[in-house]
Amino acid sequence: MGVIYIGDRETGKTSLAMELAHPNGNYVKVISPDYEYLKGFLFDQELQRTRATEAAQASYERTLEIQVTLPTGSKQISLDWIDTPGEIWRKTWQSKNSDQWKIFLESLRQSEGILLILPPYRELIKPSYDLDLFITQEQWCNRFNRWVDFFHQDCPKIRHLALCLNKADLFCDLQKEANQLAYIPNRSRMNWQQRHDYIFQRYFKPIHSQIKEINKKVSGLAVRCFITSIQNRDLLELPWIYFGSFLAK
Amino acid sequence: MGNICIIGPRASGKTTYLAALAYKKRLSSKSKNFNLQPLNDDSRAIADKAENIICQGESVEPTVIGDVIQSVDDLPFYFFNIEIKKNVFSKTESFQLNVRDYPGEVFEKIAEPNLSDSIHEEFIKECLMKDVIGCLILLPEWKKGTDKFYNRVMNRFIDLMDVNDRLKDLKLAIAMSKCERGELWPGRIEPEIDLFGVHLPNTQLTLKERIPPKNLRFYALSTFGVLGRTDPRPNRVDEQGKEGKASVLREASHWHPYNMIDPLYWLSKKG
Repeated sequence: MGVIYIGDRETGKTSLAMELAHPNGNYVKVISPDYEYLKGFLFDQELQRTRATEAAQASYERTLEIQVTLPTGSKQISLDWIDTPGEIWRKTWQSKNSDQWKIFLESLRQSEGILLILPPYRELIKPSYDLDLFITQEQWCNRFNRWVDFFHQDCPKIRHLALCLNKADLFCDLQKEANQLAYIPNRSRMNWQQRHDYIFQRYFKPIHSQIKEINKKVSGLAVRCFITSIQNRDLLELPWIYFGSFLAK
Repeated sequence: MGNICIIGPRASGKTTYLAALAYKKRLSSKSKNFNLQPLNDDSRAIADKAENIICQGESVEPTVIGDVIQSVDDLPFYFFNIEIKKNVFSKTESFQLNVRDYPGEVFEKIAEPNLSDSIHEEFIKECLMKDVIGCLILLPEWKKGTDKFYNRVMNRFIDLMDVNDRLKDLKLAIAMSKCERGELWPGRIEPEIDLFGVHLPNTQLTLKERIPPKNLRFYALSTFGVLGRTDPRPNRVDEQGKEGKASVLREASHWHPYNMIDPLYWLSKKG
């Protein structure tokens, strides 16, 4: 049960969860643990960034109590936030730590939804940034092909997959996109289908065929695309409201 | 008061139909002649899904056998109270409906020969128990080839009715679902002739030959409906990559389902 967070190293998984707990939420509020507590052990004050999640353990299980405001009112959901270190996707790590890998796969199989955090690729990034720091579109697509195999082979039962293209501040006008996509109960500009189509067409073009393949191979699965950034609350909350609509009891 | 089962292939719109039915806010404001109250937690929860999911442009999750649903007892059971006033001169009729929503794969597996030792048999047996007064069968496909498949499934289903001694007393409401689609919408007025007679003739023939006429009716049904009285565009958007099998509501503010109550009303009436 619950949602699992996955992604490669340095894609921003820990920061996303930490920022979600920031008290200035609109429709998503993390009730426990509180922001300061989370920040205390996830944030490195000296380096001014989140600590890298250690690979000694396959997954770190923390429970977040989240309140999501839906059209029918507020619902509280308990999310098992399973944060994984990026290394576990390396074959060498998996073969060296086969027991840990098995435990991880087991928790993955029990989860109802998966949030896959993807980094932006070089061709998408605004020219003012150091482009060499980002993988090329080709590398990005190749990596995604491996995700396709992974979902097909290891997650035959998942029902919701949110693909989050993270660090959106590096490749788009955050405020403009947030104005289009933001969720306002009963007054949103777009519904879920329109949001997905908009983001799918704009930012996921290189992997259209792969996404279609996931849809075909894993039956009963809904794949939804999002863009996220810790610098924009509206965009940050969207995948959680989406999950909340289905998982809130 | 009667128990009714809703069956049909995967993605035929069973759960969406029930969610729309339970979504009282929309229905009661639009229709003065009809009122529906969800009576238990399952039916209240599914009404919330209509508002949180369908009205927000998403699809409800498919009902599948697996993690949550291991046996018939795990299926959600919806209790509703329905009040109907047929016309200004008639008295308000009230009846209770207990509806079970079946996983689509149960229906699809009926035609498979090795049904006997599987979990699916349990589901079918439950749906043919004596306390079930009728089945609403949703059939969404009309393209070439599906008639053959539906015919095979229905023949087998009727065999099972016979085995369970329900051949003479189980009512079947056969509905073409998702009739908002342009190819089907004009046929909704006379579904028996213009939908089943044209697109599913063999299935129709089998049913008519083997089920007593008083226990059989054909319906056209549309949970999403069309955009308006003078705007027959379907109130649905097909999801990409799902070959038209998955679609979402296009405009929640123009949501007028078509013919949701008639089949249930007929099924629940005695005789």
